[in-house]
Amino acid sequence: MRRHPHPLALATLLALSWAASAARAAGDAQLGADVFATHCAECHSLKDGKHKKGPSLFAVLGRRAGAAADFKYSDAMKASGWTWTPERMDPYLTLPKQALPGGTMKYDGLADAKARADLLAYLATVK
Amino acid sequence: MPLTRWLRASLSLATLATATLLSPPAQAVPSFARQTGQDCAACHIGGYGPQLTPTGIRFKIGGYVDSNGASNALPLSGMVVGSFTRTGQAQDAPPAAHTKTNNNAALDEASLFIAGKLADQLGAFVQITYDGIAKSTALDHVDLRYARNSQLQGKDLVLGLSLNNNPGVQDPFNSSPVWSFPYTASALGFAGPEAATLVNGGLEHRVLGASAYAFYDNSWYAELGSYRSLSVTAQRKLGLGAADDPGVLGNDTLYWRMAWFKDLKNQSFSAGLFGLNAGIRPDRSAGTPVNRYGDVGLDATYQWLGTREHIVTLNASHVRERQRRDALLANAEADNAVGHLRETKLSASVHFRQTWGASASLFRTSGSSDATLYANSATGSPDTAGQILQLDWTPFGKEDSWGAPWANLRLGAQYTAYSRYNGARRNYDGAGRNASDNNTLFLFAWTSF
Repeated sequence: MRRHPHPLALATLLALSWAASAARAAGDAQLGADVFATHCAECHSLKDGKHKKGPSLFAVLGRRAGAAADFKYSDAMKASGWTWTPERMDPYLTLPKQALPGGTMKYDGLADAKARADLLAYLATVK
Repeated sequence: MPLTRWLRASLSLATLATATLLSPPAQAVPSFARQTGQDCAACHIGGYGPQLTPTGIRFKIGGYVDSNGASNALPLSGMVVGSFTRTGQAQDAPPAAHTKTNNNAALDEASLFIAGKLADQLGAFVQITYDGIAKSTALDHVDLRYARNSQLQGKDLVLGLSLNNNPGVQDPFNSSPVWSFPYTASALGFAGPEAATLVNGGLEHRVLGASAYAFYDNSWYAELGSYRSLSVTAQRKLGLGAADDPGVLGNDTLYWRMAWFKDLKNQSFSAGLFGLNAGIRPDRSAGTPVNRYGDVGLDATYQWLGTREHIVTLNASHVRERQRRDALLANAEADNAVGHLRETKLSASVHFRQTWGASASLFRTSGSSDATLYANSATGSPDTAGQILQLDWTPFGKEDSWGAPWANLRLGAQYTAYSRYNGARRNYDGAGRNASDNNTLFLFAWTSF
């Protein structure tokens, strides 16, 4: 017999989803630049085609995951089939190793939802 | 006592572990930046080696193998350091051949590095140095690493091996003796206390050791290793000469390290303990007396990293050494069979826009008196204390820097002031020389490519 989700669980999920969307919507690109500098810039460049230990994040939003030219991605990333939408990137930034088992990004994750929203707002401006 | 006379005295096997006045070796390795595609500032505070950021610490623990996947990065780098040294009062004799008693300009060193990834899990940091003061070339620091990434209970675990030639050179933290401030210093002036503990470079380059380490959950670091002395022939072949041969290390030589590290991205902390226990037989013949050294140190660091534009660091360390001097006593090179040394260092730095740096340090070495062992002191005391202030300018090393990552330069002015030297503020040598006479101004140009 198929079990239906409990109404309370469904409501919680919807509330969390709404909260996450709201946080993303409220992202401040200016603050996101600082988040990028603190958490990302050592391993990722924003220059088109310049790769560090991580691939360039120039115009990353909307890009297919594992597709930047001349960067050696993990097999897991190449096989993910993802496209970097904010909705896809948010859980990846939260807990990269859980979101993509087998990925090689050496980053524990950014727990602060507001900081993630700011970061995504900033990355959206880099194109 | 002039530096050269002291250095000659230190060549005596007896003073091995109580006399290290070699200036700290400088290290800066752009081949790592070429390998990773990262700017120098990603791994080094102020955009120049060797003070490591958390990213640099992880890169070292990871075996120097992280890369951007480019296959054309040769693991080769070069480095040159030139300087001018002025002391408070001229020394009694020139500090080295072809130098004056004061106001000396010098090519301090020129180094070649083999530094970077050799294979998937194998990396190297090997330095060969031409010493412009001694006019000789020798094998300098060696740290070959194998590191493997795995998981334990869902947490990251790095397991590694280091093959190296200097206890502590493999350490990833900026507060351990080998890597602590100052990162370069005068070879022709007075570069800190004359007496030093064994773990503070007392065996450097004349031993070969292996250690195994683990780094768990990006937080807990533990390492255990041992060392063997190089033969006199091997030391000669490596350019080190035989005069400073420490003798034979006992099979029970033990190096250990434990540390806790926390990287919060906008700031980081570390705290730890380390130690070196060794018995050294200066006369290599079996059955001759042995000097024993037991070093235990504790250290801590703090870094305010923010957005990396401006960075503040604090480093602290304290080492206590117990000495059992049976060989020294038998050779009439010490009066007391037992003794101790303590070394304390506190340093702080501020780097503005990863370009302008100001560093300050307090140092103090104290120990039990021994008129024969510390013959350079009128009171037979090794006690030395002082401060170091350094201002420096590092114009390159950032992602958008001109010539990155090939062009790297640090220009600096460093002043070391002594409040006490070999046991006294005034007339420490019984010949009228005061501690402040040894105050040393060191202007340096340090470049790497």
